[in-house]
Amino acid sequence: MNGTRMFQSAPAVLVASVALCLPVLAPDFMLFEFSIAVSYGIAILGLNLLLGFSGQICLAQGALFGIGAYTTAIFNVNFGMDPIVTLPFAAIVTSLIGVLIGLPALRLQGLQLAIVTFGVASAFPQLLLKMDSITGGVTGLAIDQPMAPRWFPGSQELWLYGLSLICAAASVFMLSRLLRGDTGRLLRALRDNPLVAESLGVNLTKGRLAAFAASSALAGLGGGLFCILNGFISPQSFLPMKSIDILIGGIVGGITSMAGAFIGAVFIVFVPGWTTAINPALGGLIYGLCLIAMMMVARQGIAGLPIGRGLQALKHLFNKKGLSRVSGAVPGQLGGE
Amino acid sequence: MVLFFQLLIDGLASGAIYASLALALVLIFRATRIVNFGQGEMATLSAYCAWQLCEWGVPIALSLLIVGAASFLLGVLVFRAVIKPVSKASTETVVVVTLGLFVFFQALCLWLWGADQRAFPAMFPGGGWDILGVRVTASTLGILLVLLCLAATMGAIFRFTRLGLAMRASAYSSEKSLLVGIRVERMLMLGWGFAATTGFIAAALVGPRLFLSPTMMMPILLYALASATLGGWDSPLGALVGGLIVGVAESLGATFLPFIGADLRVVIPIAVTLVILLVRPVGLFGSSTVVKV
Amino acid sequence: MNILTVRDLSAGYGATDVLHKVNFTVEQGTIVALLGANGAGKTTILRALSGLLPSRGVVEFGGTDLRQCSPARRVELGLAHIPQGRGTFGDFSVEENLAAGAFTIRDKKQIAEDMERWYSVFPRLAERRRQQAGSLSGGEQQMLALARALMSRPKLLMCDEPSLGLAPAITEQIFEIFKSLNDEHGMTLLIVEQNADLTLQFAHTAYVMEAGDITVSGLASELLSNEAVQQSYLGV
Repeated sequence: MNGTRMFQSAPAVLVASVALCLPVLAPDFMLFEFSIAVSYGIAILGLNLLLGFSGQICLAQGALFGIGAYTTAIFNVNFGMDPIVTLPFAAIVTSLIGVLIGLPALRLQGLQLAIVTFGVASAFPQLLLKMDSITGGVTGLAIDQPMAPRWFPGSQELWLYGLSLICAAASVFMLSRLLRGDTGRLLRALRDNPLVAESLGVNLTKGRLAAFAASSALAGLGGGLFCILNGFISPQSFLPMKSIDILIGGIVGGITSMAGAFIGAVFIVFVPGWTTAINPALGGLIYGLCLIAMMMVARQGIAGLPIGRGLQALKHLFNKKGLSRVSGAVPGQLGGE
Repeated sequence: MVLFFQLLIDGLASGAIYASLALALVLIFRATRIVNFGQGEMATLSAYCAWQLCEWGVPIALSLLIVGAASFLLGVLVFRAVIKPVSKASTETVVVVTLGLFVFFQALCLWLWGADQRAFPAMFPGGGWDILGVRVTASTLGILLVLLCLAATMGAIFRFTRLGLAMRASAYSSEKSLLVGIRVERMLMLGWGFAATTGFIAAALVGPRLFLSPTMMMPILLYALASATLGGWDSPLGALVGGLIVGVAESLGATFLPFIGADLRVVIPIAVTLVILLVRPVGLFGSSTVVKV
Repeated sequence: MNILTVRDLSAGYGATDVLHKVNFTVEQGTIVALLGANGAGKTTILRALSGLLPSRGVVEFGGTDLRQCSPARRVELGLAHIPQGRGTFGDFSVEENLAAGAFTIRDKKQIAEDMERWYSVFPRLAERRRQQAGSLSGGEQQMLALARALMSRPKLLMCDEPSLGLAPAITEQIFEIFKSLNDEHGMTLLIVEQNADLTLQFAHTAYVMEAGDITVSGLASELLSNEAVQQSYLGV
């Protein structure tokens, strides 16, 4: 799938318009949850880049998300930096660490990478506890949330929601530029056939590392944003399940769709909320079934399903009408091939 | 020196548990070239079932037998319902599906039995022996014996029976096996069944050491993945040796490496995995076929 | 009497058909050669016959319609297929390969007897019983593949490019064995080959394939002497 087309596709327009209309429709507390969803969505974008575009499966995206969150928190708590200013640092630091994880990945194949990154995800909370002098250990870190400026007419939640949307827009913009450019072409070549790509002179190492760097940067940005929105983080927020949650979001939304990343994020934020009221295990059951069912029936994810297909069917209908008119005017010409 | 031997013995005991789960993973990998991230959680479900039978008054030996057989069916069922339809799909797809199993079975246990921890009945007597100051408990010895029996049974099945030959052949090449008249799909199904039972044995060994909880096998899975990678993904013997090595490395490392200590012991299996993947990706006993995955 | 009758057989990979309604028969007790250039569809025919590929059309083998049969069932019925590139289990010992070949035979005594019988035909294999199949030479592996296929007591033996990668002398040796199997045991053979000249010397009848269809058929001796056929189809 081509980056430009992805960005202009119907689900993208729909997701963007819903996101813009939300402040009018949703109460403030829901705006907060949507903001959290946006932060996950950014991390999922990163995962999609790895999984959907370079076919590498990383199960440590939750840990990288956590590294971004801790970077923001530590820069704020220890150096008194404005949390918003820390966001680029969160992206850069996480990107560097992601490349460190990605380095062995250069030699690893799909399954091995999954195993190693699963290990990283499992060890991350323990590492946070061990480095309690800077991470605050079990108690975690609380940051000074950026307050809405006095000229801002809306609520604090709206201000933070706006901030999330700006981060999301920036991520989508950067990612689609990346995918449209040389790196994107390189990644697609690598995904479709690494052997051929390499024999044609495509630099496998460079491509994979670039994918890891960009993917981790997005995870870090999402994590930093999450930290700002939540105002408080602790190892509890970054258990191994977080990585699997992010993967679920990616799969449910569709791993080659940018709009899908945010649909998937909304799914992983709201589904457990709704289901735990009925039974705490229900969310997990739904998650598990979704992962399995999506892989068996709908690999394109939600973004590839109802809206996209409906529009395609409509387009198909119009095209057919157009065609039949032409062939009616010049009989036999189209069928002559 | 006494401390060293004590740690060695304790490490072997936990290593035996990692080894049995690793063996389950390897059985599945050999049969279907899939790493089943849901293996541990399937085993947890089995362990809960055994516990439930005991609660209902079934003697422990009998309930272990019943659940052992039921686990086999669970493995077969999972293969038929979930794995077979995606068997020709890409690696990423299959990994996601097995993660789906992981999430699903964990949630299922949580749903059926809640988050409260349950005490799994002890299978071995409580006593032990002091040998030159090293404490060897009956449970440690029991666990090692179970592993030994498991290994011997598996080895005998693979080496000396028609079924074992067919399973090995199917693992080597499904097409060549079809051409000699082996019903390959049935063999893969049996592979999943055996693996589920083996996984259950691992969970039953863990049960009395920890408490039963829906997440109890998660850390064990990590160690088992490391053990299988260390031993070589297509080698059952490798899984056993790998498991024991990882167990001992963990036990010694957590005590003798101050920067790791008890809280960071989880880093040890990751380090083992990374080192072996970079130095010898096929593992200690693996053959070169695995790298092509 | 025909042991194998194929009518309107179509098969292929994915959406495209490689075979287009192929018709041919194999008479009991003969050696039949299936010739043709690379990509003509010879291997596809064998894969469709042994059930590795889904196919359409009628395949009758010894009076049984094979369409409903699984690959395993076809072996039980007496159809053996030695695929291109030997089809031995590389990390099994020679003996284990033979045991795997006898998978469809339940009688242990019969298996032991057959094993000794083929060891006496292929003494090189007897010497290397415990050796890994993967460590054998190309010729030895082809012999092992042949012995392995014979362990299932086939009525029809299909062999895909037996000469591939073998020295001419060894190829000739393999064909001599085919001939003696046919002479002494009345075995029916269907041999796919690119090496037309050699194969035609051993075969009774032959079919020539071109682009997924059989274009020429006849007695092997006729094809061998017919210069037009030689030039246009066999590229000799």
